[in-house]
Amino acid sequence: MAKSGLLKTFTEPLGKNNPVFVQILGICSTLAVTNKLQNTMVMVLGVTFATALSSWTVSLLRKRIPSRIRMMVETMIIAAYVILVDIILKAYYPEMWKQLGPYVGLIITNCIVMGRVEAFALTNKPLPSLVDGLASGLGYAYVLLIIAAVRELMGSGSLWGYRILGPWWTNWAIMVMPPGGFFILAIAIWVIRETVGKEVSHA
Amino acid sequence: MSEFYKERIYPLLFMFLITVVCIVLTAGAHILTFDRAKANELSFTRRAILDAAGLSYENTTLGIEEVYLASVTEEEGYYTAIVDGKTRYIIPLIGPGLWGTIEIMAGLEEDLTTFSGVAIVSQTETPGLGGRIEEPWFTAQFAGKRGPFTLVEEGTSSRTHEVDGITGASRTSEYFKNLTDRAASEARRIIRGV
Repeated sequence: MAKSGLLKTFTEPLGKNNPVFVQILGICSTLAVTNKLQNTMVMVLGVTFATALSSWTVSLLRKRIPSRIRMMVETMIIAAYVILVDIILKAYYPEMWKQLGPYVGLIITNCIVMGRVEAFALTNKPLPSLVDGLASGLGYAYVLLIIAAVRELMGSGSLWGYRILGPWWTNWAIMVMPPGGFFILAIAIWVIRETVGKEVSHA
Repeated sequence: MSEFYKERIYPLLFMFLITVVCIVLTAGAHILTFDRAKANELSFTRRAILDAAGLSYENTTLGIEEVYLASVTEEEGYYTAIVDGKTRYIIPLIGPGLWGTIEIMAGLEEDLTTFSGVAIVSQTETPGLGGRIEEPWFTAQFAGKRGPFTLVEEGTSSRTHEVDGITGASRTSEYFKNLTDRAASEARRIIRGV
């Protein structure tokens, strides 16, 4: 694959083929983990890692995987990577692991990971698949971080755990709860599609 | 035969192999980091005991171990710590939360009624709402107070039996209050046997 092809593979998930605001994938975790920036950061790093490496691994094996059991194989590979993330966090970043315990395991069920493996890695070479997985993870990451920044600021008056807004600010409890995720996600999708992603919705 | 192999045997073998590889990798990583993970867990428990006893320490694995070994004694079902010449009793308590169980260490003065501190060992409440019981200001407000407690609006507690609830997490606050209310009677039961 040509160099410009790789670049395109990398930029598409960031913009006009973004997993969150174009493909509307990975919404469940978007709602669940975006009430604190720190939690969101670990989640998106985990998803990026899992998507990139699962895509790469599946692509390496793509000619050998029997197509009738491919989903089982994919799930197995994804689960193995996610469990590795969990084990590493537990051993080396215990504070973070303690806060995120249940969320890390949920990466396995993130639709983006499976989605990219099925849609891209099964029919492409390992390097482009790795790039696609990485870019999809990053495309997911920045949208989630924007949503988390808004929710944490409005819901807790803080960013990354540091108090930003003064005592005059009344926390919007709804921003911390799941409904707040729906509102901000919907607004984010709307704003992004109407501005930078205009050509996408008409494509 | 070859059709049979391709359709039936090969997928089975493939799945079996990939499963073995994945298990070996994850189990290997688990075994390699097992001691480290165990040590982290122990350190968390010890830190909670120190917090409940009101002892100060440097927040590293070594710092925690140093203070813990110097001042805490492990008894049957509870811990004691000598702080400023007085004995404090630390008892582990487990109770329900809104989503899962909440596990805490409750530190009590010699009268087994006044709190010296409260620290959370584990909880699975909603991050940002009930999860705020982990925030230092929330657990710190129990020190020097005696139960049973009354929950008041966040930021308004003034009397010795009042504690601030968490806005947006009334249920979790309530569960936490119930847990701390049990501390005195549990302590008498475990330590004095009455």
